Amino acid sequence: MENLSELWHGFTIAVTVPHLALMVVGVLLGILVGVLPGLGAPNGVSLLLPLTFGMQPVSAIILLSSMYWGALFGGSVTSILFNIPGEPSSVATTFDGYPMARDGRPTTALATAFGSAAFGALIGVILITFLATWVAQVALAFGPAEYFAVYFLAFASFVGMGGAAPVKTIVALAIGFAIAAIGIDTVSGSVRLTMGVDELVKGVNFVVAVMGLFGIGELLVAVEEEFHARAVSSKIEWREVFRAIGRLPRHSVALLRSAAIGCWMGITPGGPTAASFMSYGIARRFSRRGRHFGTGEVEGIISPETADHAAGTSALLPMLSLGIPGSATAAVMMGGLMIWGLNPGPMLFVDQKDFVWGLIASMYVGNIVAVALVLLTVPVFAALMRIPFVVIAPLIVIICVVGAYSVSNSYLDVVMMLGFGIVGYLFKKLFYPLAPLVLAIVIGDKAEDAFRQSMLMSKGSLSIFFANKLVTCLIVAGLALLLLPLVLQLARLWRKPAAPAAETTAQEKVII
Amino acid sequence: MISRRALELATAVLTGSFGVTVVVSSLDNGIGWSSTGVEAGTFPFLTGIIIVLGSLYNLVRSVLPAATLANVPIAITSIELRRLAGLFVPAAIFVAAIPLAGMYVASSLYVFTVLAIPRHQSVPRALAMAAATALALYVVFERMFQVSLPHGALAAALGF
Repeated sequence: MENLSELWHGFTIAVTVPHLALMVVGVLLGILVGVLPGLGAPNGVSLLLPLTFGMQPVSAIILLSSMYWGALFGGSVTSILFNIPGEPSSVATTFDGYPMARDGRPTTALATAFGSAAFGALIGVILITFLATWVAQVALAFGPAEYFAVYFLAFASFVGMGGAAPVKTIVALAIGFAIAAIGIDTVSGSVRLTMGVDELVKGVNFVVAVMGLFGIGELLVAVEEEFHARAVSSKIEWREVFRAIGRLPRHSVALLRSAAIGCWMGITPGGPTAASFMSYGIARRFSRRGRHFGTGEVEGIISPETADHAAGTSALLPMLSLGIPGSATAAVMMGGLMIWGLNPGPMLFVDQKDFVWGLIASMYVGNIVAVALVLLTVPVFAALMRIPFVVIAPLIVIICVVGAYSVSNSYLDVVMMLGFGIVGYLFKKLFYPLAPLVLAIVIGDKAEDAFRQSMLMSKGSLSIFFANKLVTCLIVAGLALLLLPLVLQLARLWRKPAAPAAETTAQEKVII
Repeated sequence: MISRRALELATAVLTGSFGVTVVVSSLDNGIGWSSTGVEAGTFPFLTGIIIVLGSLYNLVRSVLPAATLANVPIAITSIELRRLAGLFVPAAIFVAAIPLAGMYVASSLYVFTVLAIPRHQSVPRALAMAAATALALYVVFERMFQVSLPHGALAAALGF
């Protein structure tokens, strides 16, 4: 029950006029980046990051996390009204959301989406409220070997459960590690991987990478298909909103199942995108009306939306209590934490109680604010989509350029950002996952330090990773996840030796 | 037109050569175990090796005529390629122009050209948008957040 009194204390921090105002600003900006194709939650948050340097950490994280909630909601708006997913994680919402809206029930589709999204987020926050302290307490006893094992498990779960081709995930992860290693080595002080460019001594800032990978990269993908924003009516009928939300409890099985999938994928870093696809796929298989999926089924909206938001929210649990972000956006926020001088990980729960509980309380309030604001502003943001893409695209390019420059006033960063844009485009096009790449850039250094420190302790023997039960379990679980795709492949071959070794992953199948 | 196979191939070569660069330059820092612990180059060296091996796997997969995604024949059609270039080339020129023209001049020129030349907007409207962009950047960055954006060599020569 100690958690509840801490939470109460958190509410006294979060529910103040300046913080509520920050939530409103954050959510509105979030919906904006969520609605605009080419700007998503990760680079929306990283654009805002330089502006938070002067703020109190708790105010800054409330602003950034509110933006995240807003972006998650905004992505669903365009998915449903325009059949254009504003966020990768809301692609699965288009499958049933858009058909329902086209059939003349846009309000029902939107209200169902927002209602189930709020439910997913609520489950995620409740999980954080009760589990985060416990995880942090366990983690306080961690040594470098345990930390490395947890990092290893996090990276392995991307490979085993991320939903993309495993070897592509491994390549993306390793590239992220290599980028993280550029610059001065924190242990020995020697300069690494600068390839003769002096300016690289300061390393590659993750904000620069995020701007390019998610900003320019997504823009290039979006410009390929000249979409016409043919909106179905975006008028909200308030009576229908309450009726649709009132009907949600009838689908409680789907809601709970999707929330569970979302929380699981958020904590083990699978991310919201993988969670929403997985939840949609499972719902289609188990629902009694599975055959009707794709024509505007209620459960086809509930499942991806609940999982998306549950994953997005619970991705903050490992970030806070272990220092391992569960999604790309959480990785950017964690980068922010480090810039504000906080050390993400279990010590936060001891040293920075106000910060942690202020954030958790703000997640309850922020999601309510987000649902209210998104319902109120749907017509406004829907109108925004009628601005031609050719006008929005150069503005987004300028935002990314200025954003990359303002990180450390360096022109090289701008050029690198553009380079990351090409990489982001290629990776997106070929289904290399971007989230593990960003995650590795942000925590690659820490993982390496943990590895080297444990090697120092054991004088170079790998046996330290099998020294006690906890660390052995983590390492074995990590190895199992790494090998999971291989085992599945072999099992498939064993069952039908003649079947072609199809490597299409779930996401690719859906998209093709 | 670019086929999926060619694109996979090019990307694998790109990631692979990055991996080779990482491996080669990490050798400068020393790999393996020394009296001070794991040497600085070890971790990058290993990641470089993983990148190279993974890229080789992806390369072979994209070349093999297996029943995989690689036989989705076209990844980028010529129309899409033109649209891509239409977005990327002006953006690259814009970035290249920043050191000379400065952020304000370069960005307003950029906005004006991409809007007015393909006739997406009328000239006066494009001019207005270009001016608004520069003004917004100035107000938000130089005034509100005290971040100085590059003014460019041209402005410096003129004495700003």
